[in-house]
Amino acid sequence: MITAEQKPIEEIIEYIAPYDRILLVGCNECVTVCAAGGRKEVGLLASALHLHSLKQGKTVDIKEITLERQCDPEYVEELVSLIDSADAILSMACGCGVQTIAGRYKDKPVYPAVNTKFMGASESQGIWAERCKGCGDCLLGVTGGVCPVARCSKQLMNGPCGGTSNGQCEISPDTDCAWRLIWERLKALGMEKRYIEVMVAKDWRPAGGGGPRRIVREDLT
Amino acid sequence: MNLKNKLTNGEFSVIAEMSTPKGVDISDLVTSARNLKSRVDAVVIPDMDNGVMHMSAIAGAALVRQQGIEPMIHVYGRDRNRMALQGDMLAAHVLGIPNLLVVQGEEMSLGDHQDAKLVDDLNERDILVMVDTLKKGSDLAGFELKGSPDFFAGCQVNPMTDDKDLDAEFNRAKEKVDAGAQFIIVPPVFDINSYTPILEKFKSLDVPVIATVFLLKNVGMARYISINDPGSRLTDALITRIRTAKDRETECIAVAGEMIQALGKVVHGVKISAMGWEDRLPAILDSAGI
Ligand code: SF4
Ligand code: SF4
Repeated sequence: MITAEQKPIEEIIEYIAPYDRILLVGCNECVTVCAAGGRKEVGLLASALHLHSLKQGKTVDIKEITLERQCDPEYVEELVSLIDSADAILSMACGCGVQTIAGRYKDKPVYPAVNTKFMGASESQGIWAERCKGCGDCLLGVTGGVCPVARCSKQLMNGPCGGTSNGQCEISPDTDCAWRLIWERLKALGMEKRYIEVMVAKDWRPAGGGGPRRIVREDLT
Repeated sequence: MNLKNKLTNGEFSVIAEMSTPKGVDISDLVTSARNLKSRVDAVVIPDMDNGVMHMSAIAGAALVRQQGIEPMIHVYGRDRNRMALQGDMLAAHVLGIPNLLVVQGEEMSLGDHQDAKLVDDLNERDILVMVDTLKKGSDLAGFELKGSPDFFAGCQVNPMTDDKDLDAEFNRAKEKVDAGAQFIIVPPVFDINSYTPILEKFKSLDVPVIATVFLLKNVGMARYISINDPGSRLTDALITRIRTAKDRETECIAVAGEMIQALGKVVHGVKISAMGWEDRLPAILDSAGI
């Protein structure tokens, strides 16, 4: 999923300061799962903003709504009936959601209330970690299901660097060395030979080297 | 007098462009440079010109310096992060490269190593700020340098098709001048009359303006430019002139020579791009009376 974290409240306040009527829009997908921008966070942020404006001796009208998927034009359409009663939109979705709204409601300013972080997975309750950089040419089939692009700090493609220590990455004892994980997986699968095979320099074109990427599925268009 | 002093004194300056080889055979570069000694004020060496892997510009510039000509190199952020760029700037200074032209790198997808990874850590404006920071004695992380480099750094304007482009490029050039650009190089001029107002506009930025003189090598090239780059303002009359000439090559050289002369009345200098015909550069200068 795409992970996100709420922006510092001061930054959000600065964005919305010029407006009296805010439409605060959450998203029911990834940002709900990582507790950054779902219905619950929308409610909490609305209260925090109300409180702040009361302290300033002002009142701000905040309408709350959480869409099924903010990166999907079909759901973003649901804002049509609310849009005229707002001066600005504050989105708690990832950058994809913010941009879908900005693309649909061209005359309304849209501000992000979260920082979109990475594509990751939950490691344990309350901890998410990066797992994929969307390189467009997935290597997991040859690296035992552990990604060296997203999980090796140096994006090494042929084994660990000299800094790996006790199986951890040299950048921090909290970070697993991706190549230790790859080796352990390949060994457990009896695929040690894969480890020896040299990977050629990666083709970064599918990773966005040629500009913004698109997927066009003729059968669906 | 060096390029910087000449341009700042308002004297017309001539810069010739020369590429490094794709390989280690430097004979063409060295010979072309030798032939231009005392005839141009500087030679500019693009880096990975048009996104094509070449010998790095710093080495080319050091070779040009060895031939007794003042070099200038292209600097851009596509392939190097701020660490590599700063290290290269220090290297450039000690190798006797006093001039920098900060440019926008070609799209990776249009070059010859399309599978390479993009860096794009610093943009043109950031690089100009970086150069200024180094000149003032520290690096971008705020650490003090042991001996600071000195550079005469300029920027480049991209081709402009219409007035909207012109405004955008003008604003960008202004930003770059504010960030420290000390001269501006504008795209090739093929028609002095329609281009003069553009040149005058850039002159209002109060730094020397250098216009590019692009050597058309044949009719096909002229046609291609006029069709694919409407901003070039290349006229049908010019195409006809080359097409009907008895000796087309000599005509092309004469066209470039005349353009240099004409630009001498409008801008502070020219940059001549011979696009592989560097051996004809002396003939172009002869024809311009330089
Ligand atoms: S190899 Fe590429 S696509 Fe596969 S997980 Fe890693 S970054 Fe993602
Ligand atoms: S220690 Fe492991 S994960 Fe860290 S940079 Fe080196 S190889 Fe990559």
